[in-house]
Amino acid sequence: MATTQLTSISDHNFEQCLKCSICTVYCPVAAVNPAYPGPKQAGPDGERYRLKDPKFFDEALKLCLNCKRCEVACPSDVRIGDLIQQARMKHTTHRPKLRDMMLANTDLVGSMATIVAPITNFSLGLKPVKVVMDAVMAIDKHRTFPAYSAQKFEAWYRKNAQAQQDKFAHHVSYFHGCYVNYNFPQLGKDLVTVMNAVGYGVHLLDKEKCCGVALIANGMYQQARKQGEVNMASMRKSINQMRRPIITTSSTCTFTMRDEYPELLGVNNDNVREHLSLATRFLFQLIDEGEVKLAFRPDFKMRVAYHTACHMQRMGWAIYSTELLRMIPGLELVELDQNCCGISGTYGFKKENYETSQAIGSILFADIEAAKPDYVSTDCETCKWQIEMSTGVKVLNPISILAQAIDVEATQKLNGVR
Amino acid sequence: MKFDTIIMGGGLSGLTCGIALARTGKRVAIVAGGQNTLHFFGGSFELLGNVDGADVTNPLEAISSLDQQHPYSKMGHEQVAQLAEQAKSLLGDAGIKTSGDSARNHYRITPLGVTKPAWLTLDGLATTDRPDSLPWKKVALINLESFIDYPIDFVVEGLRALNTTVEMPTVTLECIKRARRSATEMRATNLAKVFTNTRNVAQLAEAINAVAGDVDAVLMPAVVGIDNEDASDILKAQVEKPMYFLPTLPPSVSGVRINAALRHYFQMLGGRFLLGDTVDKATLEGDRVTRVNTAKLQDTPLEADQYVLATGSFMSKGLVSNFERVYEPLLDLDTNAPKEHAQWSQFGLMGDQPFMSYGVMTDEHFRPLKDGKPLSNVYAIGQVLGGHNPLTLGDGTGVSLLTALAVAQNILDQK
Ligand code: SF4
Ligand code: SF4
Repeated sequence: MATTQLTSISDHNFEQCLKCSICTVYCPVAAVNPAYPGPKQAGPDGERYRLKDPKFFDEALKLCLNCKRCEVACPSDVRIGDLIQQARMKHTTHRPKLRDMMLANTDLVGSMATIVAPITNFSLGLKPVKVVMDAVMAIDKHRTFPAYSAQKFEAWYRKNAQAQQDKFAHHVSYFHGCYVNYNFPQLGKDLVTVMNAVGYGVHLLDKEKCCGVALIANGMYQQARKQGEVNMASMRKSINQMRRPIITTSSTCTFTMRDEYPELLGVNNDNVREHLSLATRFLFQLIDEGEVKLAFRPDFKMRVAYHTACHMQRMGWAIYSTELLRMIPGLELVELDQNCCGISGTYGFKKENYETSQAIGSILFADIEAAKPDYVSTDCETCKWQIEMSTGVKVLNPISILAQAIDVEATQKLNGVR
Repeated sequence: MKFDTIIMGGGLSGLTCGIALARTGKRVAIVAGGQNTLHFFGGSFELLGNVDGADVTNPLEAISSLDQQHPYSKMGHEQVAQLAEQAKSLLGDAGIKTSGDSARNHYRITPLGVTKPAWLTLDGLATTDRPDSLPWKKVALINLESFIDYPIDFVVEGLRALNTTVEMPTVTLECIKRARRSATEMRATNLAKVFTNTRNVAQLAEAINAVAGDVDAVLMPAVVGIDNEDASDILKAQVEKPMYFLPTLPPSVSGVRINAALRHYFQMLGGRFLLGDTVDKATLEGDRVTRVNTAKLQDTPLEADQYVLATGSFMSKGLVSNFERVYEPLLDLDTNAPKEHAQWSQFGLMGDQPFMSYGVMTDEHFRPLKDGKPLSNVYAIGQVLGGHNPLTLGDGTGVSLLTALAVAQNILDQK
């Protein structure tokens, strides 16, 4: 008992709670779904009971999106989201269903889907198939699935980019994530364009596994841990042997590997964490320190509404992306108010969550419509699916916008790249 | 990362100062750790409510009786009058409509049903001109069934003491029952989310009309519409009797809305708002701060020409006390707290608590003192300041607004 007390207290600051209820004000789920007890009750209040007796654990905790908006709002730095996830991890008796396993195994399913991409895309879009998925798998039929690309990013990279990377003076490793690999290789290509333009070679990691965010959400902690260990080993090699820091283009993968690995999964990321960054942050810092420069195309014009993804907000890094976008002369930026889009990874794909998910997102969607942007920009891929499906406005990662806005040759010249 | 001004703290004073600067085209960043004490806001701003235990009628006149260390004394009568007007119009520009006059207090009704002097009250809330009576002979205070976090018996007792007949009809609605299924508490903000939906608002109006009876006004706790005024406007239009809201216990709907409105306006003006981050290090060279570091941006220092400390009082950790002393944790600025621990507080919760007036000391431009000398590019505003007392003087929100505007003016006057 004494040790439980000690670790819990030092773990997530739960004894700092002032009972002010501010967290509940900003919880997107509590706002629309009365079956969810809300962060204060599910987090610090519930934790007191659970420490006394685990039977107080409530399966309704699985309704938490793990968006961490409660943590950002809390004036006392209570790590409410961590408390909730840890309670699920410790106490849940619920076993993942086949549907959850499929949604969670983004890379396995992705690999299979890529092989048969045209068929998968065709059949995922087909009405009868969606109805069957809805009925049998409990994947909501309103969902548009992200299309699978016929060529994986890794394959494109090996064929078209790898050979040129060694000639650069500086180097990074790129953790592309499942989304870039299977669904949207264009973002990876854009990253290579931008980094090459400023004189950085881009390399793949020795071995890359899905960061595990979907596994955590679906209760498959063992597998998440294993994949985490593989990623950390590859990254250590990149940092220690090759002197290559790691960059990503996904805020969620970054957050998971920097913060959820040690906090939730117990995967040690010492000596990796500080070398693992989001590409927009990495670039901004280089520019801020005067190490690299960007030259922009004079004819570029775009009105962009920036949406801060939940995990981006938790990391506090949105400012890097927005400052980078603001550097583009022809770009007009609107910062959307901080609201969750409702998808939260695989959560919104589940039939039982569809309504909650869309209700949560409705405020954001209305804001986007009012802003009348050419594009929405965000650093999270699942927000992209949700926003595109729900508003019809196209969504671009800031790196893709940058790739369109820079004058590649002029940028290379500025940075002494031949 | 470089800015013209960096403001540490995103509460009422930080946001107000940020807006005043961003409006003139300055590049401003606000670093705001978590949400702020605006969530405890009752719906009225106060300039100066009490002096020597008596209610103040004309705050502008009463300023002359304040101590020299009081922030208003540093501005002087004229500047206070001018900034009070500026504050009211800035709030209006952010979409926060208020009524009131800096030369004449009115009375607000507290969440516990007691009257207190106030300067500006949000439109739609019940107010009165006198401390001992309401403008209505007979009112219906709507008792929302299941709103367990509202001390309605206190409020009824309070209102009855104001020479008014108070009915307390109960309203039961399916939508509240549904919300009540949640294991969480039933705070004002939970209900306000239910009454954002126009269908629920229409049902509420219908239910109120059915039970209100023959009264001069309908009163109900402010639990309608979380994001904006739309829902409460709809309700007022549909309720047949004149209708006014009463403030609730925190977190308050008015506070959430004001906070969102100010932040939205600040960002619309191009201001950068870093939510959930805190400045944990300030680098001092001589009498200047040259850069600050935050918990989340770690290796990206933030640099600016001026820095504004708007970190709040003890609750927001802008001031910290340990067994030995009261101190300002970021720069260890001079405070007006006595060395003797025993003087900090007095027995009895409601008595004059001296620690409420503790805070950093500044020169007449609100530049904080360190070892007796002012820092040259740092300013302090709002509740971190010493020499005022929101509890005994009723000057909390006024000090936040006015010192924010005074400092914005000082910064703009520099060039
Ligand atoms: S916001 Fe933080 S301090 Fe307030 S109730 Fe929630 S966990 Fe507790
Ligand atoms: S993590 Fe998100 S969904 Fe979960 S309790 Fe916190 S705010 Fe609510």
